[in-house]
Amino acid sequence: MRVAMAVAALALAVAVAGCASGIEGPVESNVEKVELEAKPSGELVISNWPLYIDKKTVPDFEKATGVSVAYHEDINSNEEFFNKMQPLLSSGESGGRSIMVLADYMVAKMIKLGFLMELDHSALPEVKANLAKNLRHPPFDPERKFSVPWQSGMTGLIVNKEKANNVHSICDLFNPEYKGKVDFLNEVRETVPLVMKCEGVDPEKATEADWLKAIEKIDQAANDGQISRFTGNDYAQDLTNGNAVAVMGWSGDAVQLQADNPNLEWRMPTEGCMLWSEDMIIPVGAPNPTAAEAFMNFVYKPEVQANIAAYVNYVTPVEGVQEILQKTEPEIAENHLIFPSEEFTENCSPTPTLEGQEEKNVIKAFDEVLNG
Amino acid sequence: MSATTDTPMVPNTPTPGRGSLSAETSAARAWRWLREHAVNIVAILVVIYLLIPIALIFVFSFNNPAGRYNFTWVGFTLKHWGHPFSDTELTKALLESIKLALLATLISTIIGTMMAIALVRHSFFGRRLANFLIVVPMATPEVVMGASLLSFFLILGTPSLGFETLLIAHVMFCISFVVVVVRSRLIGFDRSLEEAARDLGAGPFTTFRLVTFPLILPGIFGGAMLAFALSIDDFVISNFNAGSTVTFPLYIFGAAQRGIPVEVYVVAMILFFATVLAMGFATWQQRRAEKMTAIRPEQEESDIALPGIA
Amino acid sequence: MVDTLRKRSVAYLLLLPGAFWLIVFFVIPLYFMAKLSLDVEIPGTLHYHFTWHWDNYKEALELYKTQFFRSFIYAAIATLLCLVIAYPLAYVIAFKAGRWQNLMLFAVVAPFFTTYLVRTLAWKTILADESPVTEVAHSIGLAPSGHILYTSFAVIAGITYNFLPFMVLPLYASLERIDVRVLEASKDLYASAGSTFWKVTFPLSLPGVVAGTLLTFIPAVGDYVNAEFLGGANNRMIGNVIQSLYLSQSNYSAAAALSFVLMAVIMVVVFIYLRFAGSEALMGQEAV
Repeated sequence: MRVAMAVAALALAVAVAGCASGIEGPVESNVEKVELEAKPSGELVISNWPLYIDKKTVPDFEKATGVSVAYHEDINSNEEFFNKMQPLLSSGESGGRSIMVLADYMVAKMIKLGFLMELDHSALPEVKANLAKNLRHPPFDPERKFSVPWQSGMTGLIVNKEKANNVHSICDLFNPEYKGKVDFLNEVRETVPLVMKCEGVDPEKATEADWLKAIEKIDQAANDGQISRFTGNDYAQDLTNGNAVAVMGWSGDAVQLQADNPNLEWRMPTEGCMLWSEDMIIPVGAPNPTAAEAFMNFVYKPEVQANIAAYVNYVTPVEGVQEILQKTEPEIAENHLIFPSEEFTENCSPTPTLEGQEEKNVIKAFDEVLNG
Repeated sequence: MSATTDTPMVPNTPTPGRGSLSAETSAARAWRWLREHAVNIVAILVVIYLLIPIALIFVFSFNNPAGRYNFTWVGFTLKHWGHPFSDTELTKALLESIKLALLATLISTIIGTMMAIALVRHSFFGRRLANFLIVVPMATPEVVMGASLLSFFLILGTPSLGFETLLIAHVMFCISFVVVVVRSRLIGFDRSLEEAARDLGAGPFTTFRLVTFPLILPGIFGGAMLAFALSIDDFVISNFNAGSTVTFPLYIFGAAQRGIPVEVYVVAMILFFATVLAMGFATWQQRRAEKMTAIRPEQEESDIALPGIA
Repeated sequence: MVDTLRKRSVAYLLLLPGAFWLIVFFVIPLYFMAKLSLDVEIPGTLHYHFTWHWDNYKEALELYKTQFFRSFIYAAIATLLCLVIAYPLAYVIAFKAGRWQNLMLFAVVAPFFTTYLVRTLAWKTILADESPVTEVAHSIGLAPSGHILYTSFAVIAGITYNFLPFMVLPLYASLERIDVRVLEASKDLYASAGSTFWKVTFPLSLPGVVAGTLLTFIPAVGDYVNAEFLGGANNRMIGNVIQSLYLSQSNYSAAAALSFVLMAVIMVVVFIYLRFAGSEALMGQEAV
């Protein structure tokens, strides 16, 4: 009797095993559109990167609209967040969130997978009026139907002036004089294009072979001990502690780091920097899209955005902010990291596109380098 | 460990007033003292080594950094101790962790104690297998446990990753430890007490309630404390199975990327001191109980230790 | 007869919830992971297809054998260091501490309560390039390049520190059970302190040594926190790889394959070790 049951159980297990195992992909459906209610109300759950908003904006928004906001700073990496959300989004849920802030390339991917709700522009007059001209028609979302920029930034060099004053270019990071005191970023779409620029290749026109060649060069440097670590935000600790003297770093962080150590300075590499943007998006299954759009609209008011820009120190996508800050916080208004001019970012490249099999191969090669 | 050679006998150089004792130079005396106490000195050094990071955390909880990053010493301030729970994300994460740990401890202690009793007191078909089943999770790397649970939840599609999945995972890895602790207490148990109770007419349930249970209570308590500590400190398995829930270790991991607020160090010290107090209280209670009932000290103390052997 | 049956059903009843939990949430997930490890991803979608795809294993081993070796070596060195450091402490607590026993035991366990991550981060500050500790080490020649952090030394030091209590407590437990009179007898028979230790004390503490080394080595091999915080580009362990494959790359089949290889190798190592050292330590006594 017992034996028979065991055999039956085993047979069942084998039968189940024969089916495709169920890590589900995207649900094929029509794009969900935001249906606006008359007034925003209720609760709004936002997921954003840490230290990406000032302290006043959320309370001000709550006061202005009566919406209660749960603001989570739970995004630390585009890939990790996407992987966390993907099972939910495939079944049409967002885990309670109505707004998420993710990088352009991730937004592009999610648009293709049908994970985003289409925005109703009638609730976004401030965005229409104040969105910076150069951000209005990005290739991945030409009519801004799904995304509204949150902040932009530049990836370049952060250097300890006292110890590594001669580092002015990405190529300088490979100088053996700084062996073991250099950190690279662990983001494939920032580190590799920067190294490609050092090799004289334009990231927007790069072929898979160019990517792999640059990854090869990085691998070599890591094995030699030139590169101490691949980091995310934690290069900040290495610079402050003296573990590193020159790193690839983000413009917003540099302003904060200087408060602790005036020797640290962000430098535009001679080859140019990487420009990136992060966008607000409304995921499918968002419980409160009306309030979400109200929030998006609210932060595009120049007075509100001025508070955010002054705290976050990244490049704001809203026009009219520099004028406001010139009266209240002139050092920030003059800071070319927060308000870069056209010529300052002349040689900078936007995040290059990586898709399909090319993306897989490049990511695989880069991850092998990251994993030692 | 103590040295392996014997004390060299110093040749007779009579010192005034020493009489027939062989004399030692002060250097030799110092050397002998060192060798006799070498083990103790090493032990104290090890204890100091264990406490170094705690000291650092303590010191840095008074740091007053200018920017967001708490990596170098800037200045002394008490302000973070004044409002350690001001960071809402931190407080929320801490509460999640405590909630999770309490529930996981409760469930795993009950289940684990039951299992321990079954394994020690009864012989039945499949006992070897059950023993093996208990031990294997303790021998599995956390990465593998966390990853396989994640695969399980993903394939099933339910429950969605969050508090429930965390609870399931935590109970799972706590059970084995509770079983081992309670079992060792049961094994060292004097059965004659139970026999005496039965001779006096108590049925099996009464015996259990009035004799067995109170006597194994320290073991159960030890197992529960261990489960609580494991759960509240767990990072690897939680990282795989938390979904969007943030526990205290997960919060720290995220915060480590961009600068841990000083409040985290303060909270870590608060947890530490709370445990000190709890342990101190427990020890004080135990000393009182000892004095009152004159139980042999050695037997009691061995219960606090975490057993690795039966 | 009825009595035994009732006794036995009581046993099964008591065992049921625990066994259920462990089977459903430990054994079955391992089975699912095994299945995943033999899956292959249908390109373009995120669906997986079960095809006995043993290539996953081959690829995983080829790509990551360096990290495998590194993990085992780091864990072995750390375990050995733990044994050497923990033994004197356990010895003192068991035999020489007297009133201080509880306090010392507490000092061993207390660091646990500041959370694993915070402790490891504290080491990151202690071992930083410009910290006094590093500078002293450098000046006495211990750290020739001036770096301690982000080297294999830092990772091993971190693992050793974090797993020390797992070695101290089993050692203490088994040392504590040794009847002091046996040691006294040995001294009465003119054995020196060293002989007493190697011929009497250490062999009697062997169950504790075995338990301690296993409780340290096994989790250490799969550890990734220490390598993540204290390691550099060339110190990644197999735990880091598995974690990144699961959580960053979503390459579940490769991650599952690697996890199984890790478990299999650990089991083999443990099996050989236990054969060599005796298995009562881990399986526990079968009581009355």
